[in-house]
Amino acid sequence: MDNKDLAMTPEEQKAYQAKQKQRALIMAGLLFFLVVLFYLITFVKISSSIS
Amino acid sequence: MTIASTTPYKLASAKDLFALTKPRVMTLVIFTAICGLLAAPGAIHPVIGFTAILATSLGAGASAALNQWYEYDIDAVMKRTADRPLPAGRMDRDTALHFGIGLSVFSTLLMGVAVNWLSAIILAFSIFFYAVVYTIWLKRSTPQNIVIGGAAGAFPPVIGWVAVTGEVTLMPILLFAIIFFWTPPHFWALALFMNSDYSKAGVPMMPVVAGRQSTRNQIAVYSVVLALCAIAPFAIGATGLVYGVAAIMLSLAFAVLSFRVRASRTDVAAEMVAEKQLFKFSILYLFVLFAALVADRMIFA
Repeated sequence: MDNKDLAMTPEEQKAYQAKQKQRALIMAGLLFFLVVLFYLITFVKISSSIS
Repeated sequence: MTIASTTPYKLASAKDLFALTKPRVMTLVIFTAICGLLAAPGAIHPVIGFTAILATSLGAGASAALNQWYEYDIDAVMKRTADRPLPAGRMDRDTALHFGIGLSVFSTLLMGVAVNWLSAIILAFSIFFYAVVYTIWLKRSTPQNIVIGGAAGAFPPVIGWVAVTGEVTLMPILLFAIIFFWTPPHFWALALFMNSDYSKAGVPMMPVVAGRQSTRNQIAVYSVVLALCAIAPFAIGATGLVYGVAAIMLSLAFAVLSFRVRASRTDVAAEMVAEKQLFKFSILYLFVLFAALVADRMIFA
């Protein structure tokens, strides 16, 4: 593979990293949301099985 | 670090990944699933109900992603779809495939673990039906593609209902039948005045293969079958007057508009007033009918 063809210009690299950062932030938000959701689901399931 | 080995234009943005789930189509899925859930006899904890709707929505998003993964070539030809992430070159196909499969597995497991496994099985089957039976198998091979593929869109209210009751009875089957028989007149009305776009893509839509008049006749027949299915829940005593009156009035209007389409003879898209009216009314029809079902349940339950 020719590395010259694959290398990014500084602008391209900046744009790529900005996209990566945006996706990482959204993924973090989604994971936090899922943690809360699974906590609530577990809470509801345990409560209903006790009652 | 993999930065140097990947072009920046192929790293899909979060916005494009979201667009891959066809958010506009998803609104109808979410709405009918919520209606199925609220109209079902019995109670469901709000957290579990929310999770059921979330899983159904994610499943619909997964189907849409897999659909776009397979149909990137058709989408590139049609004006309406040419700007989607894949044909526009903003995302590679592997990303769409992985996203679709990942979302399918996650939504099914979420439904099974949090709600119940029967609704998870129906959800998994609906994803399979839309992605494989409709998209890969039927859409390009038969003009009946919309009829059979419409079944995939008919699952959400069934899933919502089963999330509450845990069983499939006559009522969710009727809800399924309503959307199933609603889909052909809805899409064929659109296909009649969007004919050139589908022809260009080589999709064997009914107006392209059987001709406009045959399609118009079939729209009228489907409107009668749809009316019977829509009125059936009231006729068998499963719903009250609110739904009954709404179903009769709406189905009558739908049938009148469909028979006006049948009487239409024009081949010029700009002059297809009846077809455009039916298409617009069909969306309103489904929203109001399902809203009436929920209102009926709230009042008479």
